[in-house]
This record gives sequence, structure tokens and C-alpha cells, in this order.
Amino acid sequence: MSTSQFEPLPMSASQPPGAPVSSDESNPIHDAIAGAIAEHKVILFMKGTPEAPACGFSARTVAALQSLDTPFAAVDVLPDPRIRQELTAISDWPTIPQLFVDGELLGGCDIVTEMYESGELAEALR
Amino acid sequence: MPSAQDIKQRIEAAIPGAHAEVEDYTGGGDHFSATVTADAFDGLSRVQQHRLVYEVFGSEIGGPIHALALKTLLPSKIPTP
Repeated sequence: MSTSQFEPLPMSASQPPGAPVSSDESNPIHDAIAGAIAEHKVILFMKGTPEAPACGFSARTVAALQSLDTPFAAVDVLPDPRIRQELTAISDWPTIPQLFVDGELLGGCDIVTEMYESGELAEALR
Repeated sequence: MPSAQDIKQRIEAAIPGAHAEVEDYTGGGDHFSATVTADAFDGLSRVQQHRLVYEVFGSEIGGPIHALALKTLLPSKIPTP
């Protein structure tokens, strides 16, 4: 859909083959996720892409955002299991999808759907 | 494999005063949907309310429990359409 932009995180670029093993204080995936959350007003971590969601819960969340004509960034967590691990460590939220607005976790599929139906989602995205 | 009854009992045991309605919506013991009503949710955001329930199951969510769809309510509140 034209209202979404898919922005893959630069996972592979941040850890080129042969690069030194990162120490505890350097965690490029964690930093890339935290950076993406900070940079985008509305960002959805999902399974698959907005054009081709790989899970019904992700599809439902995308549909809610698209029906409000909300531009959002989207990150597919499936290509690398570490994306989901680090995301869950940041958000303290075990499931996918996860929608962040203004740097805060707004919720997963259930909360987004509930807020969409009550009109609260449109308010939160304003 | 947990049953809907197991999930209900674990939520009600872990969250004081909680009442849970749980459905195994595929019948496969790994996709559940729960409506949880509890005074403990008072004053919490929806995200915090859902976290309370997810915490009951820890890493089982995303593992043996593939999906746990949640709706959280305060006892005094009638769900708005």
C-alpha cells in the first residue's frame, strides 16, 4: 500500500563477515532497533511485510493502520531471530506484532485492534 | 500441551482476584484467547495490563503457547463496543 514504507534494518551491514565478535557493550542489532524506534513516529515490528504479512495478527495490525491512512515504518522480524530477541528485551513484550508510537510501545495486535475499534488509535496517531 | 482450563487456572492463581475466560480457538492446545477481568488492572495502561498476564507464562509465550490473544477489563467496566 502506498501509505506504508518498508525499511529493513541494516542488520547485515552492521556486522560484516570477518568483523570482530561484538562485546557486551556493543550490540548492533539492539542499537539498530532502538534507533529505528526513536527515529520513526509510527513503527511496526511484524512478521513479513505490509505487502505480504506472514501472520494473521500482523496482517490485522497492518490493516488497521492502513485503513487510517497512517504512514508507518515496518520491520520484518523473521529474517533473523535476534531481531525478535532484542526487540523483546527492549519492549518487555513477548509477542509480534508490536506497534510503537512516539518511541513508546502502544501495544500488540489485540490492543491496536481494540483501540482501532474504539477510535482511540486514530487519536493516538494524530 | 495446556488446555484452556489450565490457562484459566494459571491466570486466576497468579493475579489476585482475576477472573479469566479462556478459549482454545484452534483446538490444538497452542492458540488461546483470553478475556481477563481483575481489580489488579486498575490504574495500569493496556500495555501494562497485558504484560501482567503475559508474565504468568514467561517464555512459554511464543514457545508452546504460540498465541494468547488478550482482552483485559476492570470489574466495574462494561466493555465498550
